[in-house]
Amino acid sequence: MKTCLIVDDSRVVRKVAARVIRDMKFEIKEAGDGSEALKICRDAMPDAILLDWNMPVMNGLDFLRALRREDGGKAPLVVFCSIENDSEHINEAIRSGADEFIMKPFDADILESKFAEVGLV
Amino acid sequence: MQDAVFNDLADLALQGSGQSISKSRAYLIEARLASIARREGFGSMDDLVHCLKSRANPVFKTECASALVSKDTWFHREREVLQCVIAEILPERLKAGNTGRLKIWVAGGSTGQEAYSLAMMLEDECPPVMRGAKIDILSTDLCLTSTERARAGVFGHYEAQRGLSIHRLMKHFVRNQAGQWEISDELRRRVSFRAHNLLQSAAGLGKFDVILCRNVMNGMARSARGRVLEVLADQMNPGAVVLTGERETVIGLTNRMEPMSELPGMYVAAGTANAAASAA
Repeated sequence: MKTCLIVDDSRVVRKVAARVIRDMKFEIKEAGDGSEALKICRDAMPDAILLDWNMPVMNGLDFLRALRREDGGKAPLVVFCSIENDSEHINEAIRSGADEFIMKPFDADILESKFAEVGLV
Repeated sequence: MQDAVFNDLADLALQGSGQSISKSRAYLIEARLASIARREGFGSMDDLVHCLKSRANPVFKTECASALVSKDTWFHREREVLQCVIAEILPERLKAGNTGRLKIWVAGGSTGQEAYSLAMMLEDECPPVMRGAKIDILSTDLCLTSTERARAGVFGHYEAQRGLSIHRLMKHFVRNQAGQWEISDELRRRVSFRAHNLLQSAAGLGKFDVILCRNVMNGMARSARGRVLEVLADQMNPGAVVLTGERETVIGLTNRMEPMSELPGMYVAAGTANAAASAA
C-alpha cells in the first residue's frame, strides 16, 4: 500500500484530507509542521505528501526545499495545498519542487483529480 | 410542490430542452429555478409558473428551460477521449480532408471547459502532422448565461483546478485582481461560442468534421435524444466523427450513425464504419 504524509497544522484539515486519501487506498501519516514532517521522511520516505504552506516551526516551502535535498527526497510526489494561491506563490512552490498545487478551499473531487494528475491514482 | 405545478415545469423542461424530469426529482426543479424565482420576486414556484403562462416572453421561457439543465462540467473530462480526438481522429480527418482545415463542434458545451480543453491540448500535445492546420472550435449551449460565461473565459478557483494540472493552469491562465482565472487570449481566439438549442436545426452553424456531444443526452427523453442525433447527423461533413458520453448510445435512436469502433461513444455516418476502420 502507498503511503501519504499529510502535513498541516490544522488537525481538522488533516482529518478531512486523511479520510479522502485513505479512500484512495493510501496508508496515512500525519505531521503538524515541516520539522515533524522532515523527521518522518528521514525515517521512511512516503510516496506522496500533501503539504500546507503556512505552519509554525518550519513552513511548507522550507520543508519542501529541505526534503528535496535529502537522500531519496526527490522521490515523493508533493502536492502543495495552500490558501496562498496567487501566481507568485504557485510558481515559487513549483520552482521549489512541488509536483502539484491545490488552492484552498478544496473538496474530495479536487484532491482526487490532483492525485490523478501526478499519477498517484 | 403541487402536482399541477410540477407537471407544468416538467413540460417546460421537456419542450425547452428535452429533459425528462420525474416526480421523484422534483427537488431538482426547485433547486435549479430558485435563483430565477428570487430574482423575479416570486414567492413560490406557483407564481413562476403563473408568470410563464401569462407572459408571452420566449426569452424568459428559454432561461427557465435552460436553468433546468445540468451545467456540470470540468476541464479534461474523460481525458482519454479528448486525447483520442487530438492524437487520432483529427490527424485522420485532416489527412482525409486534404484542405488543411478542420471544424470541431462541442454541442452542449456549457461554460466552455470542454472546448478550452481541446484548445489547450491542441497547443500542448499537437501531433506533428497537425502543425499548421487550421482548427476551428465552436462550442454551443442552450443557456445564454453559460454561453456568455464561456465566451468570457473566466473561472473561479474551484472550476480552474477541477481537471487542470497546476502547470496547465499557470501556462494558459492569468489570475485577475478578483482572484479568478482568465484564459489566455491565444486560447480564447481559438474557440468561438454561440447559444443554440440542440432540439432545433443547426444548419446555420455549418458542417463539422468532429462533433462532441458528451454527457448532454443523459437526462433527455428518448424522443429528444433521437431529435438531437438527427440534428447532429445533419451537420456531419463526409467522414465526420460524433462522440457521445461513454454511457450514451445512438443505437435504436437513429439509423444515420453507427459505432466507429469497439470504443464506446464514437460514431460515424451509417454505412461508413468499415471505411473509417481501414483508413485508420
